[in-house]
Amino acid sequence: MNLTVDQVDVLQELVNIGVGRAAGVLNEMIGSPICLRIPYIKVLSPQELQPDLEIRFNGDLLSTVGLNFSGSFAGTAELIFPTESASTLVEVLTGETAGTPDLDSVKIGTLLEVGNIVLNGIMGSLSNVLVQHLEYSLPTYLEGRIDKLFNSKHLDAKASVFLAHTRFIIEQLQIAGDIIVIFKVGSFDAMLKAIDLAFEGDNERDPGSPERVWHS
Amino acid sequence: MALILIVEDAALIRKMLQKILKAEGHTILEAPNGLQGLQMIRTHNPECIVLDLLMPEMGGRQVLLALREEGLQIPTIVVTADVQQTTRAECLELGALTVLNKIPKPDELRHWVKKAIGVVTQEEIYEPNS
Repeated sequence: MNLTVDQVDVLQELVNIGVGRAAGVLNEMIGSPICLRIPYIKVLSPQELQPDLEIRFNGDLLSTVGLNFSGSFAGTAELIFPTESASTLVEVLTGETAGTPDLDSVKIGTLLEVGNIVLNGIMGSLSNVLVQHLEYSLPTYLEGRIDKLFNSKHLDAKASVFLAHTRFIIEQLQIAGDIIVIFKVGSFDAMLKAIDLAFEGDNERDPGSPERVWHS
Repeated sequence: MALILIVEDAALIRKMLQKILKAEGHTILEAPNGLQGLQMIRTHNPECIVLDLLMPEMGGRQVLLALREEGLQIPTIVVTADVQQTTRAECLELGALTVLNKIPKPDELRHWVKKAIGVVTQEEIYEPNS
């Protein structure tokens, strides 16, 4: 499946709006500025997804919170941190001093809630703009390398997936994280229709900026 | 001051909400899911419920439905990460007093709890940008 330039533009802006809201929430929670990179948008096959992600995450040990969504369109949104960054973030939020970089059940519970809030910020923005209601499953926590975290086997081999990826950096705390949203296609077609409906006749779009910073 | 039940699975959020409400002199009960929350509602009859939506065992929507079915008219403030307008409308339709997005500002939460327990005055109407 190929996207038109206009469709890529709209999708990028939608992800931007959602990530912007999520960054605003994260900024309020931790009180430090969040620097966002411009999102990367790509349509690819399930076979291409895993190698693509492996290149992006370079074999790092990762902590991820996943939120599955369904409705007019379906897929999964993931908040991804190097495990050490995740541990630092939890310490900032809970006010507990550094122990080991490992995440115990309390830390995991905190990270799950952070992921839940951030990912709902993104998906909720998409839902509101496109006027399409989404249902969410309980968020899940996984730790490991990207090949373990994203197994393409459960995806229909003939289908396409839509990958949106953005990186955020909290310089004061030396935390970097990534947000990726993977839409299962079938549902992606439905999303494109929703976009066409929502943006019918709207030719004026904000070109956006390569980098944005949220301050508390 | 009032007896308030917080039904929320995330310990971090329970702690934050509890801190805000305890500082106001309220007595706080806590439940980590809707099922335990519903049991505590039946046994303790709180004056206000602060309710999450997405929880294991039983979610907030089911709690709102159960309250309606049992005719329990306890003012319920939904506090959720779900920012969808459709979710907000659904919760209000199910009888929630209001829907606040996580993490609610302390003033916002205090205002709605006062409203829930019937002690809000005209002078205390919350304005988000104030």
